[in-house]
Amino acid sequence: MALRGHRLQLDNITQRFNDYVAVSDINLDVAGGEMVALLGPSGCGKSTLLRIVSGFIRQTEGSVLFDGQPVDHLSPSQRGVGIVFQNYALFPHMTVADNVAYGLQAHKWPAEKIKPRVAEMLALVHMTEFAERKPRQLSGGQQQRIALARCLAIDPKVLLLDEPFGALDKNLRLDMQIEVKRLVREAGVTTILVTHDQEEALSMADRIAVMSRGRIEQVSPPTEIYDKPQTLFVNQFVGTTNAIPGEYFCVGNKAKVTFAGGSSLDVPKTPGYIDSSKVVVSIRPEQLHVVPSAGLVGTVKAVMPLGSHVVYDIEVPAGVSLKVSEPREGRVAMRRTGETVHVAPTSPDACHVFPAS
Amino acid sequence: MPAPKANLDWEALSLRLTFGILTIVAMIFLVAPTIVVLITSLTSSESLRFPPPGLSLRWYFALIDADQMQRAAWNSLVIAFWTTLISVALGTAASLALARSRSKWVRAADLLFMSPLLLPALAFGFAALVYINKLGFSPSVPFLVAGHVIVCVPFVLRTTVAALSQLDPSLLDASISLGGTPWMTFRRVILPLIAPGLASGAFLCFMASFDNVPVSLFLADERTEVLPIHLWQQIDTNLDVRTAAASGLIVIFTLILMLITERVAGLTQQMR
Repeated sequence: MALRGHRLQLDNITQRFNDYVAVSDINLDVAGGEMVALLGPSGCGKSTLLRIVSGFIRQTEGSVLFDGQPVDHLSPSQRGVGIVFQNYALFPHMTVADNVAYGLQAHKWPAEKIKPRVAEMLALVHMTEFAERKPRQLSGGQQQRIALARCLAIDPKVLLLDEPFGALDKNLRLDMQIEVKRLVREAGVTTILVTHDQEEALSMADRIAVMSRGRIEQVSPPTEIYDKPQTLFVNQFVGTTNAIPGEYFCVGNKAKVTFAGGSSLDVPKTPGYIDSSKVVVSIRPEQLHVVPSAGLVGTVKAVMPLGSHVVYDIEVPAGVSLKVSEPREGRVAMRRTGETVHVAPTSPDACHVFPAS
Repeated sequence: MPAPKANLDWEALSLRLTFGILTIVAMIFLVAPTIVVLITSLTSSESLRFPPPGLSLRWYFALIDADQMQRAAWNSLVIAFWTTLISVALGTAASLALARSRSKWVRAADLLFMSPLLLPALAFGFAALVYINKLGFSPSVPFLVAGHVIVCVPFVLRTTVAALSQLDPSLLDASISLGGTPWMTFRRVILPLIAPGLASGAFLCFMASFDNVPVSLFLADERTEVLPIHLWQQIDTNLDVRTAAASGLIVIFTLILMLITERVAGLTQQMR
């Protein structure tokens, strides 16, 4: 049990719009003070889920609970959910200080307490000297700090960040991610981060819930999502991977997958498959190596030196081209386009086997 | 590519041509008569003549004693004031629903509220008179204001709906999620942000009511004569030169109101 922050539970939530099922049977338990990212492509239902948690949509089925208590009957203005919008949604006609004071006034704070609270929040986000500015006089990152300060001022039970870094340019994005993570940690507020950007989810969240077509595919800590994806979708959506179709065979207490060209790779023995099962083997580019012999034989189609790494695009007879990422060390000469090479995974455990769809 | 470029040139040309023709038409039929009226009102002679034989302000001074005309002007101002007040209140309330809802009933209501712009006001005025008489009432100021509201509310409605559609919906969500009530959201977020649109709608509404003839013709009682009808009768019966002076005043008054609206709306725009 965390000391601070409120527990958020989503219990069997389903949302239908006429015949369209936007989210289906969602179960999620977020501990107090934890940050969970809802990660998925657009249209996966993550925004609908966000509006359900905030109370703007009343879900068709299921229940939202804060600290074990259902909050479904509470309107969005009573629910105590802070939202940082993608475009920040700062009130353009009000000063920064008035924006931060807005929620406090709405909650009927006495005027003499509002002023110090606003000052405290502006100090927290290092924006004290901008109190009398209008939002349009601020940069994107500064506007985001104010949007966050405005939310945190009312001490929300749950903080929702809706694609908060999408509008920032790449250099500023990382700075703001670090900054927001710090602020949310300090405030100890339970946070849901909605994003389609895997790097954002990986770098910020304690756990990631990967969503696809209205369902949660997997909820795990970032490293586990990356290293032990439970579905091919998670594997392909988080990080890049090579998916090679083949057939699964059990050989004693080992297993292998054979490919169209007759070649094969050793894979971890995976329950649930019989011999000749149609499967997809997924191997990440950095877990493939160019080796002197064995493995898959292929032709180098493209060589892309990307700073510290070099990425090869290698066509193999299995009918697919593989991306192979290798550290670029001075003593190893880069392969040339057209060269015939052997490619093998660093270990059988690097291969993930998923059912062919 | 030569073909699209030629196309683009045609578009630009037709735009310029239309714009130019409209400007010329406006100059000939709008600006020129206004200038003629202003110059005529400064005549020193006893009759309406252009160009005037000499210039003086005597007809403007004559307005000071024109009791009947003053009473008509006062009536028109009072009616326009109430019409604007009621139209702004109703128009804003209606536009909040119109801007947010996509239901077919709301669409139908929108068309209904806008129909006075299409329906001949003369027909409406006549029908309203017959209707009021059937109900056992006779024309009076409240009915006159009601009639004006019906024909003037579209001006408020259009500008306000346009302003609301520019409003970022996430601002409303932000206000509500911060604990704001609908009333607080309206007063502190919506109203300040649509104020420029509302102000220009109110201005159009006021002017439309102030110089409305067809509705006033039917719904005004004998005691409440409004300015445009009074001026028309003066011209019709005795070519009163004071009507030119009154027209001159109306033009100046309109220009001032227009500048104020522009200033206010412009200022609020700056505040964004």
